[in-house]
Amino acid sequence: MSQERQRPAVERELTMSRAVVEAIAEEMRDNEEVFYMGEDVADYGGIFDSTEGLLDEFGHDRVMDVPISETAYLGAAVGAAQEGMRPIAELMFVDFFGVAMDQIYNQMAKNTYMSGGAVNVPMVLTAAVGGTYNDAAQHSQTLYGTFAHMPGMKVVVPSTAYEAKGLMHNAIRDDDPVVYMFHKRLMGIGWMPAPQGPKTPVPEEDYTIPFGSADIKREGSDVTVVTLGLHVHRALDAAAELEDDGHDVEVIDLRSLVPLDTETIIESVEKTGSLVVVDEDYRSYGVTGEIVASVAEESLADLDAVERVAVPDVPIPYSRPMENEVIPDSKDIEDAVKALE
Amino acid sequence: MSGADRIAVTADGDWTGDVDEDEGVVVNWFAGEGGAVDVGDALCEIQVEKVGVDIEAPADGTVVEIVFSEDDEFTIGDTLAWIEPE
Amino acid sequence: MANISTRQLKSMYDDMVTARYYEERLQEEYMEGKQPAFDISAGPLPGELHLAAGHEASGAGVCEHLRDDDTVTAPHRPHHIAIAKGVDLKRMTAEIFGRETGLSRGKGGHMHLFDTDVNFACSGIIAEGCPPAAGAGLAAKKRNDDSVAVAYLGEGAIDQGAFLESLNFAAVRDLPVVFVIEDNDWAISMPKDRVTDVENGSQRASGFDMPGVRVNHDDAVAIHEAAGKAIGRARDRNGPTLIEVQVHRRMGHFMGDPETYRPEEDQEAATQRDSIERLAEDLRARGVDSATLDDIESEAHDRVDEAIEWAKDQPQPDPAQAHEDVFVNPPSGVTDSEPQYELKRGDD
Ligand SMILES: Cc1ncc(C[n+]2csc(CCOP(=O)(O)OP(=O)(O)O)c2C)c(N)n1
Repeated sequence: MSQERQRPAVERELTMSRAVVEAIAEEMRDNEEVFYMGEDVADYGGIFDSTEGLLDEFGHDRVMDVPISETAYLGAAVGAAQEGMRPIAELMFVDFFGVAMDQIYNQMAKNTYMSGGAVNVPMVLTAAVGGTYNDAAQHSQTLYGTFAHMPGMKVVVPSTAYEAKGLMHNAIRDDDPVVYMFHKRLMGIGWMPAPQGPKTPVPEEDYTIPFGSADIKREGSDVTVVTLGLHVHRALDAAAELEDDGHDVEVIDLRSLVPLDTETIIESVEKTGSLVVVDEDYRSYGVTGEIVASVAEESLADLDAVERVAVPDVPIPYSRPMENEVIPDSKDIEDAVKALE
Repeated sequence: MSGADRIAVTADGDWTGDVDEDEGVVVNWFAGEGGAVDVGDALCEIQVEKVGVDIEAPADGTVVEIVFSEDDEFTIGDTLAWIEPE
Repeated sequence: MANISTRQLKSMYDDMVTARYYEERLQEEYMEGKQPAFDISAGPLPGELHLAAGHEASGAGVCEHLRDDDTVTAPHRPHHIAIAKGVDLKRMTAEIFGRETGLSRGKGGHMHLFDTDVNFACSGIIAEGCPPAAGAGLAAKKRNDDSVAVAYLGEGAIDQGAFLESLNFAAVRDLPVVFVIEDNDWAISMPKDRVTDVENGSQRASGFDMPGVRVNHDDAVAIHEAAGKAIGRARDRNGPTLIEVQVHRRMGHFMGDPETYRPEEDQEAATQRDSIERLAEDLRARGVDSATLDDIESEAHDRVDEAIEWAKDQPQPDPAQAHEDVFVNPPSGVTDSEPQYELKRGDD
């Protein structure tokens, strides 16, 4: 949907983590009320480089290491946000949401509504997500569907450096709570090499990407593949392979789950008639089911065939052969596309 | 273009004294061959003894040759790339 | 020296040298395929690895008092505690290598080790083992047996709700639980004084009207003594105790940690004080000769080498096994049929 617009030629490439940091730094320079809280975000620079370099420029008062008390500091972010500040609070791994979910979904997500709009919560909750490096069941989930399920939070998932920056600017400036989920494997960290794709040219100036605008990462006429995060790149790999077999695959990167850009998906399905939804979250009651249902509700007649590719309903196992079994790879996506025929 | 005009981008810096190993790996390039850079721009990130270090452009100019690509191993002091100054 | 036999000292020494050597060997295996570039997902042992060099005394000193039916929950840095608790070394190693014959059939890995034979479990979420330890104590109390439970945590975990709530729960119910804080001064890159105003984690106990004890050195004998009192108190059904022991983080938080945040002096200080050497001196003072200590050490090395060789020979799990073990009963529960009743409703 966005491919038409003219972007000035940009040469400089950034990793996703640097793009995230650039956006945060720019917002912190512009607005004294923006600050960052999290574990190991100051001297360490974020375990996944999400705050690398910020301490040097902004100091410990604005780049705050916090006790391992997620309930306290995520809840404190809610409180500071309600006072009008713009906190960014980081959950080191999304898997740790459990110890603080009450503050997230009973306060951050509901206070605006429960107050009839009198209160708003302009904070960003950042969290590292995803597997592929054998960190087992408590450090490998994406939990996209868990956050997107509960009303009151915007949920954003960048897949490239370009998107990471524009979505972060929009997240910080948004007057509502935004959950910003970055995939560890995409950040471009030295010790966790990224695949080809997430490192992109990134404009130096600040820019915002609207939530609810899915991006067609590859145009195609036979099959629509809808996905997000790491799996955008796996889907593109699959599409390249499938091209040789005569399948022309369209790949849609959702970029945000809340709001969800159903229009772009439906337009694509009207063209292709076939839908594959790929997700690194659990299969049941999640993103894949939601997308299929949304298309079915609005455009059932256009839908000839559907496949879902997701993590089967098991926790993420540690051992490499088993982790590979449950996290979809590009071959699984190829198989799903072929199964549509 | 004469080779002598080119400026070497070398794998060293303030940090060299702090490391015991002499091998490193290029992790990320932020500029490509033909890309214009300003002095001080992060050109690439290397990893030495698990620590990530940015290598900066020594001059304004154009990256004319990348000698060590991503994932390549180098020895500290090696020329990672060449810049043709403006 | 207090109430401790030479046999017990030797047993602790054995646990400690086993743990130290075990982790040196794991480190070697882990680094395979990760040099010169450190890629966490490369090599035979992928994923995070948290080593406990410098923590050994707290594993040995506490667990020396425990029986197989006593429960231990450990955090993300578990090996020294597992070894001292008597976890099956071969199957634990196979688990860390992700093999089919591992403790969890390759599903758990090093942060999620479960050995039901000796009631040991560990977990990767901060302070998460505290409530289940309280639960094990609750079960023991309800059943009127004299087993106890020990929950280990790091000093970084003392600010977490699960810990504080468990202290209160254990205190109000007089549960036979001992909470052991391993204070290594660091929570990843965060020094203690950045995240709490109390000097010692043991001070947390006073808010719950529970004894709080601090052992200021990673001295296995002193830890053994403090733990003996606390565990005795729990076994005698006199309620919980909080113990904090000073340990040292000789290495990074996890393998691959560049530790750029850590002053070099701090790193050096951590490696200078060695609890294993301290215990060896205690043993020598008791007249145990160096040859005996060497024997203990070399037998420990043999056991470790054997466990690692065994583990590396074990089969990789069949990928299909990933789909097993979500439940123990069938999804339908204990039944797959429903009785037929005629339910009479009032308005029928
Ligand atoms: C609830 C939760 N928050 C954050 C983390 C990430 N994390 C893992 S270990 C650690 C530091 C723990 O420090 P400490 O308890 O002192 O133990 P140590 O690692 O020093 O042994 C953190 C923050 C986690 N696992 N769980």
